[in-house]
Order: sequence, then C-alpha cells, then structure tokens
Amino acid sequence: MSLPISNRKALYEWTLYLLVLPSLALVLLFSYFPSISAIYHSFFDWQGGNMKQFVGFANFRKAFGDSILWSSFVTISILVVANVFKMVPSIFIAVLIHRLKSDKWQYWYRVILVVPMIVPGLVTLFIWKFFFDPNIGLLNSIINTLGIKTVLVNFDQFFGWGVFYADAPISWLGNPHLIVPALILWGFPWIGAVGVLIYLAGLQSIGQEIYEAAELDGINSWQTFLYIELPLIMTQVRLSLVLMIIGSLQGFGLQLLLLGPEGGAGGAGMVPGLWMFNRAFQAGEFGYACAIGMILFIFILALTWINDKYVRVEK
Amino acid sequence: MSSAQEISYANAQKKRDFPKHLIIWFVLAIELLPFYMMVQMSVKTNQSFIANPWFPNLPNQWHLENWVHGFNLIFPYIANTVFVAVTGTFGMLALAILASYFFARYKMPCSTLFWSLLMVIMLLPGVANLVPLFQLLKSMNLLNSLWALIILAIAGGQVFCIFILRNFIEEIPRDLFEAAEMDGATHLQQIMHVVIPMSGPIIGTLSILTFLGIWNDFMMPLILLRDQDLFTLGVGLVYLDGEYVKDYGQIMAAFLVASIPIIIIFLFCMKLFVRGLSSGAIKG
Repeated sequence: MSLPISNRKALYEWTLYLLVLPSLALVLLFSYFPSISAIYHSFFDWQGGNMKQFVGFANFRKAFGDSILWSSFVTISILVVANVFKMVPSIFIAVLIHRLKSDKWQYWYRVILVVPMIVPGLVTLFIWKFFFDPNIGLLNSIINTLGIKTVLVNFDQFFGWGVFYADAPISWLGNPHLIVPALILWGFPWIGAVGVLIYLAGLQSIGQEIYEAAELDGINSWQTFLYIELPLIMTQVRLSLVLMIIGSLQGFGLQLLLLGPEGGAGGAGMVPGLWMFNRAFQAGEFGYACAIGMILFIFILALTWINDKYVRVEK
Repeated sequence: MSSAQEISYANAQKKRDFPKHLIIWFVLAIELLPFYMMVQMSVKTNQSFIANPWFPNLPNQWHLENWVHGFNLIFPYIANTVFVAVTGTFGMLALAILASYFFARYKMPCSTLFWSLLMVIMLLPGVANLVPLFQLLKSMNLLNSLWALIILAIAGGQVFCIFILRNFIEEIPRDLFEAAEMDGATHLQQIMHVVIPMSGPIIGTLSILTFLGIWNDFMMPLILLRDQDLFTLGVGLVYLDGEYVKDYGQIMAAFLVASIPIIIIFLFCMKLFVRGLSSGAIKG
C-alpha cells in the first residue's frame, strides 16, 4: 500500500505531481476529450469541417429508423454468440495438455502454441482471406477433395437455399448468404494461444495426486473436468468471456479488411462499428457517426454493467 | 508397490496418453497451417502453386527472387513501424513508470481522484472515440505524421501499464526507498536506481505487449497516413492486399519478411513472454 502522507509533507513533496502530470494530460486529451466531443457532436449535423448545426436528437431518431444499423446489430449478435462457442476449443486443448503425464511434452506443446503468435495478426488475417478465395483458396480445395461440396450441393437442392452450385466455385466472401458463416469459420480451429496459456496457468494448481485420488473414487474424465478442472479456471474463463464480448462488439477490423467499408456483398457483413466508420469516413456524416458511436457505447456499457451485477463467479 | 511395478504403472499411464497426443497434434497442425502455407508459398510462383498447392517444392525450384521482391517492398514500411513501435514503447513505459511511482509511494492529496480518472478509462469502450480523435489530430495538424501514431500509442497504453506497475512498485520493500532517501536520492534517482532494477521482468513483459500492440495496429495508420513513404506495416499490408493482379508468392514472401522482426523478438524473449503472461493471469 502507498503511505498516507500529511498535508504539510505533501506540500513539501509537490514535485511528485510532476511525475503524474504527463500521463494525466495525455489521457485527458486523447481519451476524455474525444469521448466528450463524441457526446457533444452526436447532437449536430456535422460534415467534419468548421460548419456544424445543432439538430437536437435528429441523429438518434435517424439511427432508430436506420435499417442497416438494426441489421448490423443482428449480425454482431450472431457473431458474439458464435464467439462464445469458439472459446470452447481453447479450454479443451488446455485441459488436454494439462492432463498429459509427461512434463516435457507439456512444455513443448506450450512452445508450439506460441508459434502462430509470431505472425503479425494482419498477416494471419490476409492468409485467411486467401484461404477463402473462390478459385485457388484452400478452403474450396479441401471441400472439393473431401467431397463435402457434393453434400452441400445436395442439401442446397433439397432445401432450396440457392447458395451452392455444383458447377461454380463457392465464393465465401462474395455471396451475401455465406459472409456470416465465413466470418464464423474464420480462425478455425479457434485456438487462442493467450487463452490456452492463461487457462494452463490456472490449471497448474491441480497436482497429479488429485487426479489419482479422483481415479480411485471412480469418477470419469467428464466429471473430472466438471468438478475439478472447470471450477479452477472459472475466473479466467469469465474474464476472457467479458473481454471477448466487449472486444467483439466494438471491433470491426476483421470486417473492414475482409469485406471492405461497405460490409461486403449486400452489406451482409456490416457490424455497428463498421457502419460508424463507413458513415464518418465514406459518407462524411461525422455527426451521425458520433451518434452511432454513442449508441454502441451505451449498449456495451449496459452489457458490462449487467455482467458485473449478475454473472459473478464465487472465488 | 515395488519400483518395478511403479515403472510399469507409469508406462501404462503414458500409453494411455497416446490419444490425447494425437488430438493435440491434429489441432496444432491445423493451427499452424497458415504459417506453413505462408512459408512454402513464399518461394512459388502462381503457376507452381496451382500445380502443387500443398507440398513444398524442391529447393532447386525455389523462386528466391520473391524474397528479394518482398524485402524491397516491405522494408520501408518496417523501418517506419520500428521507429513508431520503439519510440512509442519507450515513451509509454517512461511515463507510465513515473506515474505509477507517484501512485505507489505516497497517498498524496488528490491521488484517489487521479487514480479513478485513469481507471474509468479501462471500463469505457473506446469505439466512439475514433471519429473525434481523427478530428482532434486534424486540428493539431498531426494527420499524415508518424508522431501522431507515437503519441496515440503513448496515451493509449498508459492506463493498463500504470495499473499493472503500481502493484509491482508497491511490493518493493519500503526499506529500499528509505535507504535511498537517507542517502539524499531524489525521486527521479529512486526511480532510476530502485524501481527500474527491481521490476525488470514486468517492465520487459509490458514492453513486449506494447511493442506487439503497436506492430499489429492498422486502424489508426489506415485512417491517419496518406503518403506512401510514411506507411507503417499495417497500412502497407492492406495496400499490398488491395492490388488487383496478385502474385501470391510475392505477397507471401512480403508477409514472411513482415514477420521476421517479431520472430527475432520471440526467439530472445519467449520465456519472458510466456512467464509474464501466466503470472499476470494468476494475479488478475
């Protein structure tokens, strides 16, 4: 703990304030000022220049009638739910690695897990974009080789989706119906190295003898997971869940780079953050973009608050 | 249990691990597929890739000129990014250390207020800031400048680093500070000679995280930079991807070159990184 200090001594030590001044000034200028400016400008018709006109709640009324904004919230909800399921493989792999008897292999698997992280995120993203390429992309050639495409085409004919055809390559990022599935598929098998390492650190407190005792008591491996392993990493799982939800609600980098600022064919990949970006930097409607940002902001804040109040895990 | 029995028991246990190894290998193989594809495609032309998409070509068929081309294409971007990332990381940590020393040493008047001012930022989603931030930098005449990226990196990293560093500085034994004070050390001298030597590993971990964050950033560079000779890796790669006629071999070679600095950092600091990550997780 920091020492309490008398007012007289504090006066004598006033130079200490100089230490915190630069950080405070930067944070005030680059975090607080833009937030306040966003609230302020969401009430204006503003093209980005010096001219602006107060319009009251007109931007927000426009937002509530904006069908693109509504459908973007639907899309992001689907993606967030998918992301919750995409957390499972990391937990699964962490438990699997932890259950290995050999310490040497446990160490080496950790090292191998870190290897994908040495590729910049952007590069991984573009390699995946290449995987989705309809003509020479890997995904289509895997699907063709394994015969999954025939299955998909048959399903298509049966249900009448109108998405898969036997004579045309599957255009993952070009077909409005396939954009959301492609975004969900993105990053398969969905192992987050950071997540796995964090879970492994949590699991470390379980010794081998607990497993042996559990085995003597005759519980199966599913019960071991449920009663021994999961409770120990619950704090970490909850933390990454919260960070994931906040991050994916406001994120739009993936959509911007894979699909462009219009959200791809038919705007099927449009998410709220991307719509804000689009309005500001494509349409020049900076005031309206600020209003969209505020709506998104309030939405995320509400979710954070609900989570904090109701989804508490006992330690 | 005799020792012979114990050994056979251990062997039996290891054999039962076999399916787990198999699953892990399978998953890791898919996980590493993008990396593998990048490396093996970087020495192919479009034709040789279509002829043989999956397996590496023999060394005598390698098109090493891809690497030369990739290097020439990406090196200016790397130089810009290194400048931004190194300056940004250094400045960010310097300011964060000063500020966390302020919070960790004494409970000065207004400390709590300042602390809450900083910590509230962590709870607020930053997405609404993007547009006003752009306008702010425009009015400060910082559009199309690497310094804008550096200042943003310094400002953006403060809160998280101060939050982590304060705890570490508070755990340094108080006797050390008192001894230094007896010897007439000023606060800056105490930071230089007590704080920094005592919190080396956490400073290392934070620098790597900050450096990687700046290295991978593309949103701000994409919005702020206009001149091609100022491009950082983020924008550079986006523009590279936007070309119409794509020579995938050259693009993959450029990607590989873009990864090399990070590969070097990881080779030297992997232990620091893995340990920092795990210990941070336990504390958090």
